[in-house]
Amino acid sequence: MWKTESVGVTRADTAVRQCLPPCQIKCPINEDIQRTNVLISLLPEDMDSAREGIIQISDYLYEKNPFFNICGYICGICELECNYKSKGGAIRRRLLKRFLSDVYTDHLKERGKFGISKNKEKVAVIGGGPGGLMCAYHLSKKGYNVTIFEASDRLGGALWLVPDYRLPKDVLQTTVENLVRIAGIDVKYNSRLGSEGLTLEKLEKEGFKAAFLATGLPYPRILTFEGKTVEGQDLSGVMYGHTYLYEVSHNNIRPDYFKGKKVIVTGGGNVAFDVARSVKRQGGDVIVICLECEDKDCKDGIPADEDEIRGAWEEGIRIIYSRGVREIVGQDGKFKRIDCPACISVFDEEGFNPKFDCTDCIDLEGDVLIITVGQAPDRPLLQKENLLNERGRLEVDHLTLQSSSVPWVFIGGDVRRVGFMIEAMGEGLMATESIDRYLRGVDMREGRRRDYEAYEIPVRRDYKPVPEVPWMPPEDRMHFQMFEKGFTLKEAIEEGKRCVTCGPCLSCKACVSIGFQKSLSPVEVDTATCSGCGHCVYVCNYGAARLVNRGDKVVSETDMFRCKSCGMCVVACPSEARKMVDEDIADTIAKVYASLS
Amino acid sequence: MSQYKPKVVCFSCKFSWGYLADEAYLSREIENWIPIICTGKIDTTHIMDAFEKGADGVLILGCPEGDCHYQDGNYEAKKRVYLLCRILESIGIEKERVKIELSSDPEGRRISKLVKEMKEELAKLGPWKGNVVAEKMPQKKEIKAGRGK
Repeated sequence: MWKTESVGVTRADTAVRQCLPPCQIKCPINEDIQRTNVLISLLPEDMDSAREGIIQISDYLYEKNPFFNICGYICGICELECNYKSKGGAIRRRLLKRFLSDVYTDHLKERGKFGISKNKEKVAVIGGGPGGLMCAYHLSKKGYNVTIFEASDRLGGALWLVPDYRLPKDVLQTTVENLVRIAGIDVKYNSRLGSEGLTLEKLEKEGFKAAFLATGLPYPRILTFEGKTVEGQDLSGVMYGHTYLYEVSHNNIRPDYFKGKKVIVTGGGNVAFDVARSVKRQGGDVIVICLECEDKDCKDGIPADEDEIRGAWEEGIRIIYSRGVREIVGQDGKFKRIDCPACISVFDEEGFNPKFDCTDCIDLEGDVLIITVGQAPDRPLLQKENLLNERGRLEVDHLTLQSSSVPWVFIGGDVRRVGFMIEAMGEGLMATESIDRYLRGVDMREGRRRDYEAYEIPVRRDYKPVPEVPWMPPEDRMHFQMFEKGFTLKEAIEEGKRCVTCGPCLSCKACVSIGFQKSLSPVEVDTATCSGCGHCVYVCNYGAARLVNRGDKVVSETDMFRCKSCGMCVVACPSEARKMVDEDIADTIAKVYASLS
Repeated sequence: MSQYKPKVVCFSCKFSWGYLADEAYLSREIENWIPIICTGKIDTTHIMDAFEKGADGVLILGCPEGDCHYQDGNYEAKKRVYLLCRILESIGIEKERVKIELSSDPEGRRISKLVKEMKEELAKLGPWKGNVVAEKMPQKKEIKAGRGK
């Protein structure tokens, strides 16, 4: 079994020109996706021997992303940009990670604590969601003394609101528990900023030199119509999706709570679908109604993931597209029906600004209305802490996440801009860098702007179809257990192999890390012998060989960012103008040949 | 003839052959073994050189079709071997002296078996006669096959 050595550590640094595979660019923390895929493809086929390799791959991922085993269940943002999409289906990266996760989550408790002395400044992280935890983890790794102030009695933030059928609670629990243990983070539970005298000023007095504020969006957004609050949200039978999911996560709702009830869910995001599908699992007859249209590719398309929509549809949830809610009608203090005009446009140049056609209205009757149209920050708190500008917005530098009004405070995650878990984690990582620079007194901005360049899919003779991911049939999945079957070892190896590794070797180095090659040999062109015939351009599957004008001569050259050192151009060159520099294989060949005679 | 021990040079791609085994152990086990990063890297001149230096056969083990880490290196190697065999045959040399197999064996246990099988076949053919017909052969550079698609 191979061993990954430190020499194969990848580099995604601040080069002038940074080339990465598209999946890695899409990932807000630029995870080493290609490397993982390659190493998975080289795992042994029996689980007992493979375990060692899986742990090595996972250990590497964990260094940067202590949440990767959760990402394996609910992220997969990288798949959206996979080059393979155009050839029959993105590499199922999320499932590959879930495959690692299913082995590694149990192994986490064996992972040792950071072996560094924490002799640097005290830093406060306010909010223990994915953004805050990510920041706390990486600051601890750098030697800072980090304390998390968490408003509730559990870490993980909004991740707890993801239903169990998508993210099992024990995976979440194990992950956050071990993260805090491994990083040696001090956690103060039930410590809400703004209550019981906990203020930024107090933290500063206690000796915290910097703070990362990632308090998320703790309140549901109120339903509005044309700028005005829709009346009737206080009726019995009307609730907010956010509140509902919170109660579900605490097991406060009976399994058959909605039995025989007609439930209307308004909203078109993933959270709305989490609500709808949870309600369905608790016996309700569910209709989802959203402003957006069915076509995900259009500007007003529904934001929920395709898998969520498909899953809901399979489970018998009816979706009504392109309608808003103008009026909530009650009877005897109880919810009765909603009045839904057609929505003709959701976004305009200004952003979210829905337009309706009130001549086209339908009535929807139901027993329960669950409003899931987004969440809101604790505005009064932010106001009180002087973090908002005169327009009532958070004033934050987008590159450094530093607050303009309170320079020792950095703000990120959903509170700054609502997004996916991984986006909050990305901001946690950004804040780590900023806080480190701030406390070391170095330039906050230098070298941080990164322009990444992605590659097209390499040329191949054939491409393989995406594997089917089995889901339990809808009639068998009306519970809160996982219904998506993860990859088996064999399937994971196959899927790892399917990856065409379109990114540059420099950002992968999987083969170097396991000793396949000592280094990545560059290809050199002898311009004196090169005839400029272009054979190399023709054979290169990566577009790395190209012809250029040198004086009055056309010669070929190699784009080192694209070159994979595969050597096909060297073989193809009829003038022997191309050669690999410092290639260890030449020595092996010479040695073997010498022994023949 | 019974004393004749054919020599086989074996190239194998690291991405499918023996990557789970200890390379040093396999090197002792398999004579004249050259693990390489992609069979697409093997030039016709590498093969011809082997014969010139005293090999009686060359065995190339590449990745299964469609599994090449560098997209189509294994296919290129297969094509090159096919073309080379045609040339060898045309000058009276047995095509069995150059073989390619596209398959996978992470543990590398099959490699020495395949080498042994090839040696047995070569034993029937006798030593490489190429150097005798070398004069008839075109110069190295001209043989060197480029790659067409």
